[in-house]
Amino acid sequence: MKNLTAKLIIVLALISIASGFFLALTYTYTIPHIEANAAREQEIAILDTIPGAVSFEVIEGTDFPMYKGLDSGGKTVGFAYVAEGGGFQGVITLMVGVDPEQEMITGIKILSHSETPGLGARIGEAAFQDQFAQKPINDDYEVNKDVDGVTGATVSSRAVAATLKQTLPQALEQYRVSGGAK
Amino acid sequence: MKSISAFLNGLWKENPTFRLVLGMCPTLAVTNAAANGVSMGLATTFVLVGSNMMVAALKKVIPDEVRIPAYVIIIATFVTIADLVLAAFFPEMYKVLGLFIPLIVVNCIILARAEAYAAKNTVFLSMMDGLGMGLGFTWALTFLGIIREILGMGSVFGIKLFGEGFVSWIILILPPGAFLTLGLILGTFNAMLSKKDKVKCN
Repeated sequence: MKNLTAKLIIVLALISIASGFFLALTYTYTIPHIEANAAREQEIAILDTIPGAVSFEVIEGTDFPMYKGLDSGGKTVGFAYVAEGGGFQGVITLMVGVDPEQEMITGIKILSHSETPGLGARIGEAAFQDQFAQKPINDDYEVNKDVDGVTGATVSSRAVAATLKQTLPQALEQYRVSGGAK
Repeated sequence: MKSISAFLNGLWKENPTFRLVLGMCPTLAVTNAAANGVSMGLATTFVLVGSNMMVAALKKVIPDEVRIPAYVIIIATFVTIADLVLAAFFPEMYKVLGLFIPLIVVNCIILARAEAYAAKNTVFLSMMDGLGMGLGFTWALTFLGIIREILGMGSVFGIKLFGEGFVSWIILILPPGAFLTLGLILGTFNAMLSKKDKVKCN
């Protein structure tokens, strides 16, 4: 009996160790690629949401990540910030591009979410995201009035709209305080 | 010969979705679009082949008393590897698939094949069984996805089929649509097959 118990423990422990070893190996090998993908994604999102920007700078001293978009002459053409809000099943992270002169959104891009595949996850589609460009910062962002929601995903659509409404004034404020306007 | 029948088994005779009615959780959850069905099916096939081969290779080493936890560790390892590799090398595909990958761990078809087939057969036969079952699962999910996407969104693999006048039947891409579609297909298949059986008896 004692022998059997020992055998069970040893076999399970060995399988777990082997599994841990292979996972660690896969992780070490894949993590640089995963991080590079995320960084590239971030960069594309910043440049996509600020029209005319060809490079960007991190704005220091803000409550959430903020980036200043620069054109080829080094002139500031707008800024982008990372907003987070509660979705249907988890946190939705967005990159929001803003034109501080005209106080309007220049573009948004969903960075990550865990919404229902096929329903809420469709907030990631261009049809939904593109409608936010040109919207003024003080818009009401009410779904089905100011914003066309995704069919069958009212909660996810509202979450994006509410996150924008909530974070936009803060972001603009922070941008001005931090001296990004210079 | 035996390997071919092990492969074909999963495609039709013991199709995991339509005949064994296993793995219903991902089947119902992800089949609201055809592309989701294909993606989920292929990722499951990878895990199924890997875990089947590993279980078959280790069947003499794993004592009966702890076989279930051992299988679960093996399956979870393959799922995590698939998750990491997809995220690292296929970021575009991962964006679509990423949400479904962890769901594979709880797909009972994988544990069922480990227990019912791989634990009693050779590594090669288990691989063929995994491939057959995986592809059987894939076509079943794709079939369901195509039906639900056409009626619920008016498109197939994201390509619009109808003009502006099409009124999509949204319930079909919502959870109840999964039950309705699957139920009707299962019923149709059962009716077809029982008719065939009767003919045989006569």
